[in-house]
Amino acid sequence: MMHNYLLFRIAERYLGVKLQGAIEILPWRRSRPVPLSYSYIEGIMEYRGTVYPVFHLAQVLGLTRTGPIGFTAHAPGGDALRKGQSIILLEESGKPFGITVDSVVKMARFEDPKDPPAEIKGFDMKLVKGIQFDDDQEITLLNFERLFYAG
Amino acid sequence: MDDKIRFLIVSLEGESFALPITSLLEITVARNIQKDQKLSEIFEGKLDYRGKMIPVVNLKKVLKLPGNPGGGLIVVKSSKGVLGLLVDTASELLETTQKPFRMPLGVLNPSLHYYAGVLRNREDLVVLLNEDGLLP
Repeated sequence: MMHNYLLFRIAERYLGVKLQGAIEILPWRRSRPVPLSYSYIEGIMEYRGTVYPVFHLAQVLGLTRTGPIGFTAHAPGGDALRKGQSIILLEESGKPFGITVDSVVKMARFEDPKDPPAEIKGFDMKLVKGIQFDDDQEITLLNFERLFYAG
Repeated sequence: MDDKIRFLIVSLEGESFALPITSLLEITVARNIQKDQKLSEIFEGKLDYRGKMIPVVNLKKVLKLPGNPGGGLIVVKSSKGVLGLLVDTASELLETTQKPFRMPLGVLNPSLHYYAGVLRNREDLVVLLNEDGLLP
């Protein structure tokens, strides 16, 4: 079955998430760090009366080295290099959350993938739903059902 | 009817945290703290508070924040008894009609009970400390 996906880029990779329910795309802003949070949590942010946990998606996917346990995720180079990045606010099973991405690319329609590949080099597979191609560009489609159990 | 809830805003390494006024006994400066080697590293020592010795907790150690122990002392009552808490500064009193937000799921291990929620203070989010969950 065909579905709309939002495509975005992290660390030179193209990724996609199925569009369902409300979605907001915001310019990157500093989240409020929470001491003792998981290392891949940037912090929390409020948007229109809801408090969102903001996940450093590159770290969740294993695309960057994680920081020491107990410290909030920080990108190398500090906040200045985050300008131009985006925060996508989503919902999974009623739980609101945000992810940080390098850039939002576009929307695309794909067939839902059948099976995820066994492995993608350098990639933690727990959120991978499958692979699709858009103009010969490989897109890794993600499924956030297991995001809240990633710790 | 006054339905405002009041919180004390304190600062640790530049970030704001809140404590409910209902648990607050005194705001003072950290002095005359007696070292006690028998206490674990989250404690800075003990203090004579109105004739009774109370433990003084270094909140930065509890929350694994960097920096020296704060110079401000907040005395609170908790389910673990009366505690002294070291903070950098006690900056303001927040009066609000808003109920605290819940700490969102997925942020930290659910077995940790350091926080009671999240408050909005103007444009900032303030993490509400759970005075009953700070000690193991």
